[in-house]
Amino acid sequence: MRLTADPEVEEFRAEFSAFLDANLPSEQEAVPRSKSSADMPEWARRWQRTLFDAGWLLPGQPPEYGGRNATLAQQLAHLEELSRRRIYHSFNPQGLGIIAASLLTFGTEEQKRRWALPILRAEITAALGMSEPGAGSDLAGLRTRAVLAGDHFVVNGQKVWTSGAHDADVLLTFVRTDPEAPKHKGISVLLIPTDTEGVVRRPFGSITGPEDLDFNEVFFTDVRVPRENLVGPLNDGWRVANGSLGHERTMLWISFAERLEDLVRDAASDAEWYATLLMDLQALRLLGYRQLGGDQSPAQISVLKLLGSEAVQHASLHALEERGAEGLVHPAFTAPFNHMNHEPFISSWFERYVRSFAGTIAGGTSEIQRNIIAERILGLPR
Amino acid sequence: MDFEFDEDQRLLQQMVRETVTKSRSLPEEELWAQYRELGWLEAPPVELAIVLEELGYVADPTPFLATATWFAPLAGRLPEGSGTAVCDGTGRFVLDADRADEIALVTGDGVVVVKGSDVRADRVAVFDQTLHVAHVDAPGLVAGVPDLALMGLAITTVGSCRRILDMAVAHVKQRVQFDVPIGSFQAVKHKAADMYVAIERARALAYFSALTIAEDDPRRRRAAAMAKAAAGECQRVVFKHGLQLFGAMGFTWENELQIYLKRAKAGDLLLGTASEHRRALLA
Ligand SMILES: Cc1cc2nc3c(=O)[nH]c(=O)nc-3n(C[C@H](O)[C@H](O)[C@H](O)COP(=O)(O)OP(=O)(O)OC[C@H]3O[C@@H](n4cnc5c(N)ncnc54)[C@H](O)[C@@H]3O)c2cc1C
Repeated sequence: MRLTADPEVEEFRAEFSAFLDANLPSEQEAVPRSKSSADMPEWARRWQRTLFDAGWLLPGQPPEYGGRNATLAQQLAHLEELSRRRIYHSFNPQGLGIIAASLLTFGTEEQKRRWALPILRAEITAALGMSEPGAGSDLAGLRTRAVLAGDHFVVNGQKVWTSGAHDADVLLTFVRTDPEAPKHKGISVLLIPTDTEGVVRRPFGSITGPEDLDFNEVFFTDVRVPRENLVGPLNDGWRVANGSLGHERTMLWISFAERLEDLVRDAASDAEWYATLLMDLQALRLLGYRQLGGDQSPAQISVLKLLGSEAVQHASLHALEERGAEGLVHPAFTAPFNHMNHEPFISSWFERYVRSFAGTIAGGTSEIQRNIIAERILGLPR
Repeated sequence: MDFEFDEDQRLLQQMVRETVTKSRSLPEEELWAQYRELGWLEAPPVELAIVLEELGYVADPTPFLATATWFAPLAGRLPEGSGTAVCDGTGRFVLDADRADEIALVTGDGVVVVKGSDVRADRVAVFDQTLHVAHVDAPGLVAGVPDLALMGLAITTVGSCRRILDMAVAHVKQRVQFDVPIGSFQAVKHKAADMYVAIERARALAYFSALTIAEDDPRRRRAAAMAKAAAGECQRVVFKHGLQLFGAMGFTWENELQIYLKRAKAGDLLLGTASEHRRALLA
C-alpha cells in the first residue's frame, strides 16, 4: 500500500494530458450535439479518429487497434484523465466499450478488420441487442430465433431498449440458435447490419421526454445474416455475453465516480448527506484501485457497481430534496458548461435524480448485483 | 496509488489471524504478553490496522487498542505496561482508563503523561461487560483526538462487523425453515449483501486513513473522520441485519454474536458517532 503514484503511470498520464491539451476539439468545432448513444457528429468522429491514430483510444490494445499495450494501471489513468476533464472519448460508448471490445476478444481476424476497426475509427457506430420484452434481468431467456440455413442465418424476433439502434450501422445481436438446449447453452451472437432487409428500428422516448430518443424496439423479420457474422462459436453466446458485460463493467465504476464528482461540485451542501457523498466517492475509488491489481471477478465488480450506482442515486435525491420546490424547475442548468459533455449541464436536478436510475437498472439491476454478491461471494444457496 | 496489501502485509495478516484464533481462550494477561512479544504494539499504522482488524474480529479483551492508538500517538512512545489517553476534552468514557498503567492527558498546556494510579478513574458500568471505560477526573483538559485513535476504533469496528457477517452467513446456510436453508430467501440474501458492501466500504476508508497517517499525508485528518464515520454507518447496517438474521437465537446470552454486536456498537458510540464525524467533514 502506498499513496504515491507509480512513475510509470504518471509519465503515461502526463503524456496523455499533454496530448489532450494539444488536440481537444475547440468549443466552436464541437457545436452539433450527439443525439443518441450511436449518433456521432462529424467533429466527434474526427476526435475519436484522432485518439485512435495516436494510440489513445483503447490504450490497453496494441497500436493496430488504437492502443499502446498499456498496463491496467495506465488504462485507469487514461480513463481518469478523460473523466477529470469530463471528456467522452467516444460518443458511441457501447460501440467502443462493449461491441468493439468484444470483437477484439471473441471475433475472427476478418471480423476485427471488417467491424471492430471501423467502429474504433468512428467510421461506423454500433448498438447492443441483448434485452428483449421477455428477457431483461433473465437475459438467458431471450427468444429471438436464428436458424442456420446453409451460408446464412435467418433471424426472427424482437429486441428492446437497444440504445441508439436507430442511429447505429450494426447491431451486436444475441439470438437463440438451439431452442432444445438448456437456456444458457443455445445462445449465439450475430453482427446484424441495420440496413439489412427485415430489420425495423423504432426509437421511443425516455422518461426525460418524448424527444429524448435513445431507446429502440428492433424487429427482425426473416432477416438473412451471413454465417461469417457469427461472433464466437455457435451456441457459445453466453460466454460472449459475460465477456461483453465484463468489458462494460470492469472499469464502469469510474463513470459512477465521475457522477459523484459532478455532485460534489454541483450540489455543495453543509448537510450530512454531503459528507456521505464524499465518503462514497472516496471508498469507490479505493475499492476500484484495489481491484486493479487484485480480484477482478465479476462478483467483485458487482460490489463497485452496486455501491457506485446507489451512491449516485442517494446523493442526487438529497440534492433534489434540498432544493425543495425549486427542484421542480425544468429544464435547468445545474452544472458548468462543458463542450465535450453537455449532459449534467442541461439537466435539471429532478432529471439528474431520475437519470440515476439508469445506473441502478441497466447492466444488471441493483437487486441482481445483490444476488450475485450473496451467492458468489458469500456462498449463499441459490 | 497502490491500495493492495504487499506480500509482507499479507503474511502479517495471515499470521495475526492464526495467532488470535489459536490464542482465543488464553487469559487476558497471557494474550497481552503475547502481543507485546510479537511486537504488534510497535507496528506502523497500516500494519497496526491489520492487527486491529483481527483483534476486532475476536473482540480482544486486552488494552491493546487504547495503548497503541490512544496513548502512543500522544505520548510519542509506548507506555510502561498499558496506556490510554484522555483526548476528547471531557474526561468521560475513556477506554481502559480504569486499568491503564500510564495515561496521556491532553491539556491546555500540552500532553501530560501521568501514572494511572495518580488520577481518579471510575469505571462505568456498560452493556458490554468486557469493555473497560472510565470517567477520569483531571483539570485543564482540551480536545485533541489523534487520527490514529479514530482509525483504530474504525478498523476494530470493521473487524467486529466482519465477524458478525461471517456468523450470520454460516447461520443462514444451515438454519432450515420451510424446508430450505433460510439463506436461499432473497430477503435474507440482500441483507447479507448489504452488510458485505457496507463492510467493504468502511474497511477501505479505514485502511486509507491508516495509509495517510503512515505517510503523514495532508488528508490524514479528513481521512480519519471518514474512517470513523464509515465504520459507524457500517455497524448500523451490520448490527441490525446481523441480529435480525439469527432470529431469537440472536437474542440470547449464549450466542457469542452478542459480544461482537456490542463491540461494534461501542465502536461507533465512542469518540463521536458517524453523524458527528460527518459534520466534522463539512466544517
Ligand atoms: C438507460 C438504459 C439503457 C439500456 N440500454 C440497453 C442496450 O443498449 N441494450 C440492451 O440490450 N439493453 C439495454 N437496457 C436494458 C437493461 O439491460 C435492462 O433494463 C436490465 O437488464 C433489466 O431488465 P428489465 O428492464 O427487463 O427489468 P426486469 O428484469 O423486468 O426487472 C424489474 C424489477 O424486477 C427485479 N428483478 C428481476 N429479477 C430479479 C431477481 N432474480 N431477483 C430480484 N429482483 C429481480 C429487478 O431488479 C427490477 O427491480 C438498457 C436499460 C436502461 C435503463
